[in-house]
Amino acid sequence: MSAGAKKRIMKEYGECMKDTPSGMKINFDEQNMTEWEILLDGPEQSIYSGGHFKLKMTFPTEYPFKPPVVSFKTKIYHPNVSNDDKGSMCLGMLRPDEWKPPNKVVSVLRLIQTLLIEPNADDAIEPSIANEYKENRKEFDKTAKDWVKRYAK
Amino acid sequence: MDHSDGQAHADRTPTPAHRDMMYCHECRDEWFRDEHGLTCPECGSDFTEIIEEDHDPRDDEMPGHNEHAEDGDSIPSLEEAPPNPHDHPLAHHNPFRDHNDPEEGDISNLQWRQVGPGRFAVTGTIYRTISPNRGGGGNQNAGNPPIGPFASMLNSIIGGARPRSQPQGQDGQSSQGQPTPGTSLGSGPRVTLGESRFHYTSSARLYPRDADHPGPQLEPMDELNNVLIGLMAAFGEPPGQHNHDPQAPGNDPHVHFNPLLALLSQMMPGNAAAGDFVYSQEALDRIISQLMEQNATGNAPGPASQDDINSLPRKPVTVEMLGPEGRAECSICMEEVLIGEEVTELPCHHWFHHPCVAMWLSEHDTCPHCRHGITKTSENSANSSNDNSGGASEANASNPQMPGAFAGATGDGTPEHPFLLPDSPHHPAPNQDQGASSSHSGPVSGDESHSGGGFGERLRRGWFGPPR
Repeated sequence: MSAGAKKRIMKEYGECMKDTPSGMKINFDEQNMTEWEILLDGPEQSIYSGGHFKLKMTFPTEYPFKPPVVSFKTKIYHPNVSNDDKGSMCLGMLRPDEWKPPNKVVSVLRLIQTLLIEPNADDAIEPSIANEYKENRKEFDKTAKDWVKRYAK
Repeated sequence: MDHSDGQAHADRTPTPAHRDMMYCHECRDEWFRDEHGLTCPECGSDFTEIIEEDHDPRDDEMPGHNEHAEDGDSIPSLEEAPPNPHDHPLAHHNPFRDHNDPEEGDISNLQWRQVGPGRFAVTGTIYRTISPNRGGGGNQNAGNPPIGPFASMLNSIIGGARPRSQPQGQDGQSSQGQPTPGTSLGSGPRVTLGESRFHYTSSARLYPRDADHPGPQLEPMDELNNVLIGLMAAFGEPPGQHNHDPQAPGNDPHVHFNPLLALLSQMMPGNAAAGDFVYSQEALDRIISQLMEQNATGNAPGPASQDDINSLPRKPVTVEMLGPEGRAECSICMEEVLIGEEVTELPCHHWFHHPCVAMWLSEHDTCPHCRHGITKTSENSANSSNDNSGGASEANASNPQMPGAFAGATGDGTPEHPFLLPDSPHHPAPNQDQGASSSHSGPVSGDESHSGGGFGERLRRGWFGPPR
């Protein structure tokens, strides 16, 4: 990883500290600054309210020319989070072909929060969950809340 | 009736070449004419008929035929089928109706016969034409590798497929394409001027799925045309390039597409895909994600050339380039820039440290901010040359940050003023005042305003082709 990339990650961290989105905590390890642990509270107005989610943000060696990788370590029932042991989230600005170097980590964090409040079922990684979200919202909400109780307490 | 299944099966199909089959309308018995003559050996009736290729009296008797058919036990539920066999949805099934086969002349005698309610026999003769320069002296041998294994595979796929009324030994012979002229119709090569022709005759039976008797799932009906298209395509391949590889289904079908692989992969449970055909949601998803992976970068513009990157104008940071707070940073490395520091400016007037933007441009020919390419493309070369020729660039400064400014900025279609998509960030805007443009040319952190431009850019590339 280039010195420039490290410098930028440090700067990003500084910016995140100055302006941390509410309900978020970032655990930053200077020895391993390319892997951030993010503790995220389910937003009040979302079905994930009350849950505490652990996320990992991994910066690739080519950062900022390649997007950071976001994955949920806590299981979450969400159309945009893969329902496997990876829990990966890949959409919008995080997509390799959408990513632009000027994108900031803070805006990535805000995107994650926005997605918890309003999933993007049209750009889903889990088609079946997205379908349920669109067609049977009641059932979706029920399962999502159930998972919060089961995995995110 | 008193035959074993396999025997009856083989006997009932008419001999294509030399033996006449007889059929009794009274007791529906069948026999060889040269063995028992014209009178039914079973009931003594004279109401008999010679079964001919193009006229099979059994066709008219089908509904009752099953009482002694060799497979009558497997589909009893279909015995109550409508008396008219042509009611069957597939009675006029012709998968090749719309199939444009360039070598149609090589395929003849493709016949569909109904041998029972919901059952069809298909017979085809395929003439394989091998040009002498390709096959060389080994024409016959060259034809063997594809045909032999393929025929046996086809038999095993379709199940019950047997060459018509030929003992297994002869079957092997004809399906091997051995050049023994005159054994039976369609088994020997006909040598014409400068080319060899191989005949291959085989027939296949296709069994519908039967809900009442869930047996081993053979080839379902709807894959029939697939099988045959695969068959035709396989025979259309040049000899010798035919891989009968047991590992084949594991290969990426997009890399080595081969009808044989498609057929083989059909036999693999869980992979309900055959080339472009899919039979399950999972297979469809797999193909779609494969396509998306292939296009993940194909969609984006390629790298800019090193020359183009090096020829980008460099200029010192001026007071006007700083933001309202009197400071600005290179949005790639996020380092603050100082007045007088040299930065590289792209045609869209976004600027960055040269090493930073060079790194990005060497992989993507887009502005990191607005995605506008730096390479002159045919449709915007007029503008770009304007920009790059002398001091015209300031006068032509566009304002990529303000979507509103794009309105009314379309050209008149002349080479000097080409039509531009409204959201294209790069266009001549002579009315724009210089001050406004420079105050907006610095990096900004909000990306939302650019997303439209980026999309428009990609759309434009889609319509007008890649930049170079």
